[in-house]
Amino acid sequence: MTAAVPLTTGGRTADDRTADTGVWPMLRRLAAERASGALTRDHGVLYLHDGLVTHAESSATPGLDVLLTTGGTVRPEGWWEAVDKAGPAQRVGRFLIDSGQLSAGALELCHLGALYDAAYFTLASHDGPTRFRHGVAHWIGPVRPVPVTAVERETRRRRRLLDRIWRRSATDTQPVRRAGSCDGLTLPPRRRAVLDRVDGERTAADISLALGRPGFHTVVELRRLAAAGLVTATAPTVSPAPLPESGTGTGRGTGTVTETETGTRTATVLPPVHSPDQDIALLHRLKEALEAL
Amino acid sequence: MSGIDACLLEAIRVPGARGASVVDWTSGLPLGTIGDSPDGDHEATAAETAEFARLAAEHKAFAPSGGTDREDGELPVHDLILTNSDSYHLMRFVRTTFDSSVFLHLWLDRTEGNLALARIRLGEMAERLVIE
Repeated sequence: MTAAVPLTTGGRTADDRTADTGVWPMLRRLAAERASGALTRDHGVLYLHDGLVTHAESSATPGLDVLLTTGGTVRPEGWWEAVDKAGPAQRVGRFLIDSGQLSAGALELCHLGALYDAAYFTLASHDGPTRFRHGVAHWIGPVRPVPVTAVERETRRRRRLLDRIWRRSATDTQPVRRAGSCDGLTLPPRRRAVLDRVDGERTAADISLALGRPGFHTVVELRRLAAAGLVTATAPTVSPAPLPESGTGTGRGTGTVTETETGTRTATVLPPVHSPDQDIALLHRLKEALEAL
Repeated sequence: MSGIDACLLEAIRVPGARGASVVDWTSGLPLGTIGDSPDGDHEATAAETAEFARLAAEHKAFAPSGGTDREDGELPVHDLILTNSDSYHLMRFVRTTFDSSVFLHLWLDRTEGNLALARIRLGEMAERLVIE
């Protein structure tokens, strides 16, 4: 940690831009110090209070507002009333319960799922800078705080779980399209709902938003659909050698999935292509990173 | 007292209860645990019971005759019962108005537990967890 500029939110600022793989040691240290504040990374924010994780948000998974209002558990006007009235005091969760809009159990189930999902997407990647701002709290307020160690174990376990289902991670983040016919197949309703929204443009995050579903659930279903040969990630801007897409799917249900199937990750199957788009994307990322300093 | 904790305390008071948990069956995440678990590791138990629950919830063989695509949000499977030489495992799916995949797991001592009673109680707990 280094000293940093004072923040208008008060308190100290601590940065850790040196260790792109060091987010866990940093989090463990913050937990040991019983720190309170917000840990920001490329894909999300983790909120700590007294060293416990109280909330997390990520662009890869819908927020509580979407999760609770999509199915009508909470009316949108009821949600905004709670944010307006209890947001400044950081007690929105409590307000939702006290105003009879949902039970403590329902809020906890939904919030914990959202917390672990957002934490996964925020922490699973080793990329990008990590910052911690002391003294920042989220307006949802305390619901059911969890230890950093539990979040760490769960994040690691989830990555193993996904790899066991299907080792290719492209469907986690890239737009997805159908890869084979599902005629005659009976899919479980929750998986069918995901497949119905696969249109070649939506990503897992888009589908989660459309369904009002926790992001990790969609990622799991897409990996299962990919393993069954029904879905594949659309080619990125620079396409590697095309993957086989016969009616039998791409390695459906076999145990022979190897890194060579990851295409973009494997140098041997990549043509030596270098496009201006890549350079521009890299420059954009560099610019964003420099601005974030 | 919070909803999940209140639910778990009620579960552990069921005669013969050894342990209980609230688990997400898509991810295998234990959202709350109490008491003991069969191998001394609640997280490992949650991951294993989640896999069992997921198969039951997803396979056509266990769905009602009308199929699993229900407009009324009815769950395809209500509960699972597993018995072995010294214990019972009860898993009860929780129906929520928001998108979720949650079940309650109750581990019971076979000699001290009453399977029929525990099943009724667990069903009531699953309803109260998201309503009260």
